[in-house]
Amino acid sequence: MTAVTGEAPLQGSGVLGRPMDSREDPQLLRGEATYVGDVNLPGTAHMAILGSPVAHAKILSIETKAAEQMPGVLKVATAADFTDVMPLPCIWIPGGVESHFPPHPYGLPGARPVLTGDSVRHVGDPIAVVVAETPRQAAAALAAIAVEYEPLPVVTRADAALAEGAPQLHEAVPGNLNAYWTCGDKDRAEAALAEAEVKVELDLVNQRTINSPIEPRGAVGDYNAATDEYTLYASTQGPHNHRFLLAALVLGIPFNKLRVIAPTVGGSFGTKGYLYPDMALVLVLSKALGRPVKWVDTRTGLMNSTVQGRDHRQHVVLAGTRDGRMTGLWATSYANLGAYPSTIGPGVATALMGRSISGMYEIPAAFCEVYAAFTNTVPLGAQRGSGRAEAAFLMERLVDRFAAEIGMDPAAVRRKNLVPNEKFPYDNGLGWTYDSGDYQVNFDKALELSGYADMPARKAEARTRGKRLGVGIATYVAICGVGPSTRMSQEGMLGGTWESANIRVNPTGEVTVTVGSASTGQSHHTVFAQVAADELEIDPAQVQVYEGDTLRAPYGQGTYGSRSYSMAAPAVALTARKIKAKLVKAGAVFLGIPEEKAVYAAGKVYEEGNEENAKTFADLAMAMWYGWGLPHEIEPALDETTHFDPPDFNYPFGTHVAVVEVDELTGETEVVAYTAVDDAGHIGNPKIVLGQIEGSITHGLGQALMEAAVYDEQGRLLSSDLTKYALPRATDVPFFTLGKTTTPSPHNPLGAKGAGEIATVPPAAAVVNAVVDALSDLGVQHIDMPLTPEKVWRRLRGEAQ
Amino acid sequence: MDLSLNVNGRPEQFAAEPNELLVERLRDGLGLTGTKVGCDTGQCGTCVVQLDGRSVKSCLILTAAAAGSRVTTIEGVTTRGGELSGLQEALRQEHGTQCGFCTPGMVMALGELVENTADREAPTEPEIREWLTGNLCRCTGYHSVVRGVQRACSAARAEIPAEISGAAAVSAAAGSGSAGSASEPAPASVSASASASASGKEV
Repeated sequence: MTAVTGEAPLQGSGVLGRPMDSREDPQLLRGEATYVGDVNLPGTAHMAILGSPVAHAKILSIETKAAEQMPGVLKVATAADFTDVMPLPCIWIPGGVESHFPPHPYGLPGARPVLTGDSVRHVGDPIAVVVAETPRQAAAALAAIAVEYEPLPVVTRADAALAEGAPQLHEAVPGNLNAYWTCGDKDRAEAALAEAEVKVELDLVNQRTINSPIEPRGAVGDYNAATDEYTLYASTQGPHNHRFLLAALVLGIPFNKLRVIAPTVGGSFGTKGYLYPDMALVLVLSKALGRPVKWVDTRTGLMNSTVQGRDHRQHVVLAGTRDGRMTGLWATSYANLGAYPSTIGPGVATALMGRSISGMYEIPAAFCEVYAAFTNTVPLGAQRGSGRAEAAFLMERLVDRFAAEIGMDPAAVRRKNLVPNEKFPYDNGLGWTYDSGDYQVNFDKALELSGYADMPARKAEARTRGKRLGVGIATYVAICGVGPSTRMSQEGMLGGTWESANIRVNPTGEVTVTVGSASTGQSHHTVFAQVAADELEIDPAQVQVYEGDTLRAPYGQGTYGSRSYSMAAPAVALTARKIKAKLVKAGAVFLGIPEEKAVYAAGKVYEEGNEENAKTFADLAMAMWYGWGLPHEIEPALDETTHFDPPDFNYPFGTHVAVVEVDELTGETEVVAYTAVDDAGHIGNPKIVLGQIEGSITHGLGQALMEAAVYDEQGRLLSSDLTKYALPRATDVPFFTLGKTTTPSPHNPLGAKGAGEIATVPPAAAVVNAVVDALSDLGVQHIDMPLTPEKVWRRLRGEAQ
Repeated sequence: MDLSLNVNGRPEQFAAEPNELLVERLRDGLGLTGTKVGCDTGQCGTCVVQLDGRSVKSCLILTAAAAGSRVTTIEGVTTRGGELSGLQEALRQEHGTQCGFCTPGMVMALGELVENTADREAPTEPEIREWLTGNLCRCTGYHSVVRGVQRACSAARAEIPAEISGAAAVSAAAGSGSAGSASEPAPASVSASASASASGKEV
């Protein structure tokens, strides 16, 4: 694979790759978009959920009579009312190893019941629901439900949950161990470590963080007794997946009796592709009450119910030579899955992290082992950059330790070990085969843009101002484009991971694109219109895009893992090619010429060498609608669908450089400059991607500097609202310096790689590297995130971690 | 209790509970769902509306306390499907919204800044960032929003939107780093952010 930097010419009309304005934006800016909280169907009743106030206990009794008498209350329900609803399943399990899950009646790995009846396992574990005329009445009645608990001991850390005598969460999961999962070559890695000239080790805490989309989740269930059909409106990033899982594996109703609609979704960052109890509850209760039932979460509710991210405790080792060659890598990780497996949490915590640990480096022997354990905390899921961010953090922290140990410049060590171009496709020895890359060029560009060579002078200057300036580099490879379905099945995914698109050319020449994916803020309508318009060589204004409603859209898996542009967009492009091929075939008939003489260009079919003899796109659209005069082998109408299942994943990568200033007196860390050079292959709309890169970096800086889900010893989430959980605000970030390289992926027709979340992967490592650099003369080798002023202040004063 | 409000130029009279929040009246009582609820503690800013021209968080104000006031919500900025305001247009050009959930609150909060500074020099980047600390956004990282405000302020000062001020030019250039030619280094835009904000970095 020859790497290409710079813009390679795209095929088509050239509308793809342009920074077109987002067509979604005006509606959003006018406040006109409908989110699930804005869905108000006639006769709606409102649901509130009683979550457990304690982290681990047996439920001795639940008394609901008083609540039933409260004003406006229509129904109070507990687990006993949902005995025919199956537990939620887990569909991404640790692949290829023995694993243990709570049971599901179909023999699948089970996750959690929609309401718990016997025990509670985390604060927020849903016990009962109230449906009332108004949201306030429902919330008020919750307080009248009396639950008697027998407290059980609590465990909140994965390593502690695996210790002898630890509290047990699930009967079916001995010792709380969901799975012991490994990848790489253990013997070779052991040997490399044993024979190493130099060995550096770190104990790392990749702290749990809360994804925090600004829109909390919500669900509206609407059962139609006349047709026996259910409709679910939900803040979902995968309506088709939710339809399949809810109908087939939770409610046990026919697939074609459930319609799922994703209205405008207010951000996800990995939280809204999961099955949650509320989705099933509003549907069942709507049927029971004969009214639509609506539930919208609160912020504190979200923080105690919606999946959280990261949360690995690790011991990591890097072996190398005195002259800076990396020879071996070892990672032992304890992943905290929370109280129940989330829909895909166990897969995220194992494969997505473990196979990614060596990043952009050629390391001959690498091994990763993950102990995935259940604890009395909110279930773990994905979070923007998930798995890969944890991997990059450990790798990039190790590289800096290694460089310090051998007295080499951290940039020089990295450059020396980058996978060279001639090695692509590159098998990283941990399970990924990197598709393409030009790491050297990307790396050098980031260093140059950041002014890396000037850092010694800047450090000296900062010291005159009472500041310690530090610089931190972090590189990454972020597997994206989930994915090849068969391969994903080997990784433990229970389900297909292809994507689809349908294109209909309307009789009047406009084009309708429907995709199975569903946006959570990525301007799909804009970008997919660009893809179709580019292929068909027509004006994008002619193209309308639909998604998010299972009744209208072809099947698809949704938006996650930065997959829509490298999965759904290729499906759109391939479908447009089918349309084009049919237009050429039919156009030849209408023009009275042999097919090989028919040329398609600029939205027209014309006779080669005689451009006057032509049919416009609109002419052909109408002619195909009528279907008059078509030979038997050409069907009328222009309506094509593609299901795209790629041959392999794609592997975007990049280099980030953080420059921080640490205040000597206060310990405050300010990110004064941040450079990122990311490579996502060919990009459909640079304006959209720019926004995603900027937001992703800010998200990563949040983990480095301020974010942490803090549980106390009793399993209570202390950081349970936005007064206690800090999110980056506008004053916390400077403008960034951004660049890109372009290395197309060979695994899809657009040469695209994932882009949406990739820039979340390295910032935490870059910032911690920078702060450790700033404090290195004090002997500081590592500081756990978040790097709060107090923590840094203590280290400035020589206190140990 | 019987209350009255002027909402987006329309007089509204209604009975409300004494503990009703203004955001509940707007969303549930008047059906003005452009105003959002993203937290329960006045932190996120998705519920910002203008009360007698000042931006306020409508989840922190009782309807009763707002009685008799003039309330402007996002629905009052433009007509449905209508022409965007100068600020909205500038945010559109900078793609200052992604999922859009924080956007109505931001437009209402930033609208006050743009209005209030119309007769003086354009607000600086730190001023804009400081003004924005009452609004959370997880998608954009705020950069495109800050550029949007800079663009709006420049457009308000020069008839031609393309003539943007120094600060906006720098940020626009930083933006084109990713958007522009791959082989050309993006011009650096390194600006010191306003230091430690009221957002509280400590958990």
